[in-house]
Amino acid sequence: MAASHAFRGLQAFTFTELFVQLHEITAILTSLVVQVILLIFVAILDPKLIGLALMGAILFSLFTLGQRVQNEAAYIRIDHKLDQLYLTSPLAPESYFFGMSVAVLLAYLPPIAVLVAVTAYVTGFSLLTALILLAGGAGLWLFSCSIGYIVSTFFRDMRAIWSYASIFYNVFGVLPPVFYPIGELPAFLRPVALVVPPSAAAGLAQWSVHRSVLSGGEVLLASVALGVEALLTFYIAILWARRSVREP
Amino acid sequence: MALERASLANAPRQGRALPAFALIGWRWISYNPAAAIAPVLLPFIFLLFLHLIAPTGLFPLEVVGAMLFTTQNVGSWVLGDSATWRLESAIQDLFVASPLGKVRYLFGIAFSNLIAAAPALVILAIVLAIVAPPIPLVGWAALFASLAILWVLFSSIGIAISSRLRSQREIWPVGNLTFTTLGMMAPLYYPLSYLPPIWQKAALFLPTTYAALLVQGSLGLIATSPRAMAIDATLLVVSAIVGTAIALSIYRWRDA
Repeated sequence: MAASHAFRGLQAFTFTELFVQLHEITAILTSLVVQVILLIFVAILDPKLIGLALMGAILFSLFTLGQRVQNEAAYIRIDHKLDQLYLTSPLAPESYFFGMSVAVLLAYLPPIAVLVAVTAYVTGFSLLTALILLAGGAGLWLFSCSIGYIVSTFFRDMRAIWSYASIFYNVFGVLPPVFYPIGELPAFLRPVALVVPPSAAAGLAQWSVHRSVLSGGEVLLASVALGVEALLTFYIAILWARRSVREP
Repeated sequence: MALERASLANAPRQGRALPAFALIGWRWISYNPAAAIAPVLLPFIFLLFLHLIAPTGLFPLEVVGAMLFTTQNVGSWVLGDSATWRLESAIQDLFVASPLGKVRYLFGIAFSNLIAAAPALVILAIVLAIVAPPIPLVGWAALFASLAILWVLFSSIGIAISSRLRSQREIWPVGNLTFTTLGMMAPLYYPLSYLPPIWQKAALFLPTTYAALLVQGSLGLIATSPRAMAIDATLLVVSAIVGTAIALSIYRWRDA
């Protein structure tokens, strides 16, 4: 594909998809259910962790946007078969994937903004924490939307998606130290957690509050892992979008 | 014409709905292993999370909570299946036209989804037997009776909600909101006394709360008395009957 045609139609498709998403008010309103439940657990069982859990909830919310992209891409393709219409138009395939991801982000920002406001009210942010949440959240969003889009193309049945999505987002979003301190993990598991995107971002956010939780090497590991994984999956998703459009 | 009438008269009016739906449930998890893995894995992910943040002594209670929550979640899968079959596959009309009837259809879907939840419940029961103090027979009886009641109640709620959905997109958020919220409002993973006072009062409107109190009490995980357990059992049954009746009145079996 010629470079000049890359991301053609991005703006138009982003706004189209944004309006579609804004019709899904139930989905937007319920987007924080799991996060709120985990926050309730923390508030009841170990209230001193609530600040850390709130930061984790912000990052988890951005991570789960990939699930929305996955559902939306699958729904458009399987139920409506609209992707064939979009992709035979002048819209570039990468604009289809990335426009959907941006639209999902924009539609789901209000509940996340509420979470940010609550966190700011309860614990406050330092500038460093705010920057890490912003950069880490952006990396997580890029990573999970890319994965979500790629995975969506493998399904032929909407019903099968939910169980796989449920496993993926809970194994990578709840199991690692996103809502609890990274220090709770045994030493040999810490490097593993720091290369898993959600816990890498959460680990960096926790480090911005308490510097002792990560060593310099661990900060570097988490930062590089998150950056590389986000950019690499984004690149693969673009290639995949271009490739899958040529499928019969 | 006469021949046609005769063959219609001989058409089966009775069927084995539960084995048929059991086969559907089994084939679904055999084709789609994630459908069986997710119900097993998710309670354990929550349990691990709770184990890290909660006092160790609460672990048996959390395992019981995971069993109750898993059973309640069958309602969410019933909602998903019923809505998918109606909206996407458009096969509900086939069931409506058959001799099945709406209650047998409900139990069929509920049973097929119970098959997917069964491995999780068995594993959690084994874990409970290991980590809890010795459980008397009456404790196991109270646990399984409560699970059965919640299974019927939440499956009814699931199918009632599913009959009102208009789009595939609504299934996941509505199911997630309804069943997760109902589950978390009740003290499944911690004693009722841990909740703020106003929340404790609100939780008393939920059948799941009485199931949790009854099971926690009968397993000796919280201090209670036989009289309090009898009241909990009565309120569980009454609230479940009322809840199921309301759900069935909302449930739309055929389009008007």
